[in-house]
Amino acid sequence: MNKYKKITLDGLIFQNPTFMLVLGTCPTLGLISSAFSAMGMGLTVLVVLTLSNIIISALRKVIPNSVRIPCYIVIIATLVTFMRMFLEKFLPDLYDSLGGFLALIVVNCIILGRAEAYASKNGVVESAVDGIANGLGFTIALTIMGIICEFLGKGSLFGAQIMDFQIGMLAKPAGAFLVYGICIAVFVYIIDNFERARRVKANKLARENLLKEEA
Amino acid sequence: MSVKEFFKGNVFKCIIALLCVLLVSGIFLTIMNSLLYVTDEERFERAINKIYGKSVKTESVTVADYNSNATINEAYKIKDDGNYLVKSTGKGGFENGTVTCWVVVEVKGGKVSGIGKVVIDSNKNQSYISKISQNFLNSFENNPAKDFYFTTSDGYLTSGASMSSNAICNAVNGAVDFINAKLGNLAEDIYADFEYVKNIITKETSHEYNAETKEVIFHIKTNGFGNAIQFTIDVTVGENGIISDYDIIKNGSTSGYESKMLASILDGSLFIGKDIEGIKGILQNGADLGTIGSLNGSDLITGATQSNYLCLNAAAFAAANYNTIISMEQGGQENE
Repeated sequence: MNKYKKITLDGLIFQNPTFMLVLGTCPTLGLISSAFSAMGMGLTVLVVLTLSNIIISALRKVIPNSVRIPCYIVIIATLVTFMRMFLEKFLPDLYDSLGGFLALIVVNCIILGRAEAYASKNGVVESAVDGIANGLGFTIALTIMGIICEFLGKGSLFGAQIMDFQIGMLAKPAGAFLVYGICIAVFVYIIDNFERARRVKANKLARENLLKEEA
Repeated sequence: MSVKEFFKGNVFKCIIALLCVLLVSGIFLTIMNSLLYVTDEERFERAINKIYGKSVKTESVTVADYNSNATINEAYKIKDDGNYLVKSTGKGGFENGTVTCWVVVEVKGGKVSGIGKVVIDSNKNQSYISKISQNFLNSFENNPAKDFYFTTSDGYLTSGASMSSNAICNAVNGAVDFINAKLGNLAEDIYADFEYVKNIITKETSHEYNAETKEVIFHIKTNGFGNAIQFTIDVTVGENGIISDYDIIKNGSTSGYESKMLASILDGSLFIGKDIEGIKGILQNGADLGTIGSLNGSDLITGATQSNYLCLNAAAFAAANYNTIISMEQGGQENE
């Protein structure tokens, strides 16, 4: 159980693909001007990442090592094409708002990165959990930045107009770049403080145990 | 390497693995494509549904342009309620760009009875289109103008995006004119075939003829152009098509640019005493006024060149069409 907790926390926080590993930057900068598009992209990546991790993990012993990357690309491209068909059929608004970035999921380094670094070396269940955790980490990061950019850049939230005050630049990729940088700084600062506090607590416990043993 | 060794070798395994992955992917996508394929009819219905707000049956209508400030791209009659859905491109936006809108024109008793909805489809060169709010688009529906003719000077204006607002007004007016023409209600535009009408709102322009003095007073309304919005100008033209009076009733210069207009245009002295040839002579080499570029090299290039251009257009329209008005009016009197 502890293993799954670690995988989940790594994907969501300590190895968050957007804030800690700075992966998948292209759709991040292109889509966070709208919270709806950002969340939609995150959820689409979550589905593709989870399914690709499951399939690649299941086939890891069948696929020869020398052709593993072409095979992973074919599997990911198939899943992305399927998601495009699915979204166009059932969620046309989201399909329109994602535009060209939807096809670009094929070359999203989070997906290929997790396939190569994790799914090709671990079991199906662990890989599925890893896919969900990383996908959720990506979705949450994009949604938070989407909310900030849309609120400050357009004065709206998920398309609903809230205020007239707008900082137009934040609704554009250049503004998104600034918000992205600030979010990374804040996230890393929080994680650093958390880890420092954890280390201090662990040291204190160790010292107390040592003193007890000496006594 | 023998054939047997090849079949047992790693290369063969790699080829087979790759081919198997490709084959399974191909079969999967083929099945999914047949299940999830979106037909053209479905795509069209979705687009209409998105604009109209509900699923409706439509019938395509042949399009034609009845307003020089708008181009009608597509039009559909809504079979369910008899209203019309028109895709109209309004001219006169920022940097001579356009805004394309879907306009729901409501029809009751064979007449246009309201604007049901205005949805922006696309735009060209409109940097400030994001300033156009839903409230502004709703204003066409909630506060219909007299005869459904909308202008920025009547308050259909978003501050900071006045030119885009102008193009949207033109798109809506174009849609209304098209439907009025379809229903046989479009008032005849007597100036449609006149000279120099490019920047003149002919529907909003009128004239008075004095048979005794043979003077024609034109009450001219111009388009917006660039950063300038509509001008209202009264031009009096006497015998031989010579301008005798020129008054700017409503100055369309925005953001304090009025002070940068040529003083002799503001008081009309540049045009008074001139016929159409004299007006052309203001420009270098007798340029034909067709584009703002024809002003190059003249004194009209000031900080408010676009406003100067519109005023010059109004003067040219009045002077060039004096004789046409005289024959029209005299022909009318003879008939009486």
